[in-house]
Amino acid sequence: MFGYPLVNVLGACLIITSMLVVLARTGRAAAWLYSLQSLVLVAVLASLGAVTGSTELFTWSATAFATKVVLVPAILLFTLKKIGDEARTDLPPKLNPMKSVALVAVEVFVCFVAVSGIDLPTAAEVRPTLAVSLAHFFIGLTCIVIQRSIFKQIFGYCLMENGSHVTLALLAPQAPELVEIGVATDAIFAVIILAVLVWRMARYARTLDADDLCELKG
Amino acid sequence: MSVIVAILQAVLLVAAAPLVSGITRKIRAKMHSRTGTDIFQDYRDLAKLWRRCEVREGGSGLVSRAMPPVFLGSFVLIAAGLPLFMQACPVPILGDIITILYLMALPRFMFALASIDSAGSYTAIGGVRELLVGVLVEPALVLVLFVMAVAAGSTNTGFMAAATGSLQAQPLVAVVVAGVAFAMACYIEMGKLPFDLAEAEQEIQEGPLAAYSGPSLAMLKLGVSVKQLVVASLLVALFLPFGAAVDASPAAVLAGMLAYGAKVLVVMVAASIIENAVMRVRYKLLGRYTWFVTGIALLSLVFLVIGI
Repeated sequence: MFGYPLVNVLGACLIITSMLVVLARTGRAAAWLYSLQSLVLVAVLASLGAVTGSTELFTWSATAFATKVVLVPAILLFTLKKIGDEARTDLPPKLNPMKSVALVAVEVFVCFVAVSGIDLPTAAEVRPTLAVSLAHFFIGLTCIVIQRSIFKQIFGYCLMENGSHVTLALLAPQAPELVEIGVATDAIFAVIILAVLVWRMARYARTLDADDLCELKG
Repeated sequence: MSVIVAILQAVLLVAAAPLVSGITRKIRAKMHSRTGTDIFQDYRDLAKLWRRCEVREGGSGLVSRAMPPVFLGSFVLIAAGLPLFMQACPVPILGDIITILYLMALPRFMFALASIDSAGSYTAIGGVRELLVGVLVEPALVLVLFVMAVAAGSTNTGFMAAATGSLQAQPLVAVVVAGVAFAMACYIEMGKLPFDLAEAEQEIQEGPLAAYSGPSLAMLKLGVSVKQLVVASLLVALFLPFGAAVDASPAAVLAGMLAYGAKVLVVMVAASIIENAVMRVRYKLLGRYTWFVTGIALLSLVFLVIGI
């Protein structure tokens, strides 16, 4: 149960939690669920560190805990509070949420087929998790495409970012902290910029509906 | 020994079904702030119906007459074959998932056929709706049972129960996700709110019940409660076989029986609390929920394929 199987089980938990983020009805719930997902991500990094004996991964998991479990959800919840009554944040998604579950399942399968062609010594044991991390890119994309609220589209970006974080940890567990900062930690600045943009748009246009915001162009 | 267990299972399930139905009714009454009837009321209702004479609709034929015994009989047969008290099927030939799925489809088919047979428009609508539920729920059930069959290495529910009970069913996450999907599918299959109110013949889905009276109605009412119990038992047998007897010694079987009773009671009470906490949805929206269940079942299949 320990070692690589544990990493794979946690990888499956990543998929389930990211699906919950996509399905969450309110922005508030999505922010809390995103925090939960990041906690699973931290567990993946830590267990991977224990399995590969890489001390760098423990440092990664510590920074990931600070940025992703605490800071990013806090920023998003703060944005939600700032927006307040200025615009409706909880718009229903474009795709029936029930069908998006089936879509996620198909994406995970396609990613597994794609990953089974990769033949690297580190990737052999954790192939399912590698598929999961690749699938996160597509789940994030799905979230961006199906969500009408631009606030919820931020979560799509965050999910993609979590996926790349796991991929990096799986393929290069010995990479120094500097690489991790370059790849993963800088995402927090992107989230801050996106949050400010969403807040300004809500104040200016009084709507967060991506369809309505098309009229801003030109 | 195993034949005795099979008969015991069938008899006990039929005997306990009205009691379980009475308990769920009592819970509903309490949640509606009513006193409600006694939990043994269903037995009295059945006894009363049994003594009444039978009235048939004009023009109804053999199918209408054969439906109540077939409906009840199919579920009793499933109950006899399931690994309820032991982690093995008492009658292996009845414990195969393909047999079980067809034995669950047969009463539904007969139900729909009888609804047209009685030539009432009200009953026909009920029959169509019952078929619709079947069409929408069965894909999820089949997918989940397929996942379990691959995980346990057999289509026999006894082997599945043994594999889950000893935590040998691999991959683990796929089995857990399949369990969640199966629980949701079972809930819909039980015929509870927000989709249906199984014991109320005035609800349109159970429309065909309106064409029956006397002993036939008693058999159908008993059949509906046995069906709920059998579906809950299927969930308990496949995904919660913990506590069931590993060998066939009488003491172990007795312990398994008590454990089964406790587990199934918890499942039924949970289902009835959920039922009374939700509102009734329009029939057209049923597909959304079943798609969700099918989506989760699909996810478990994907987890099975990728091996986590």
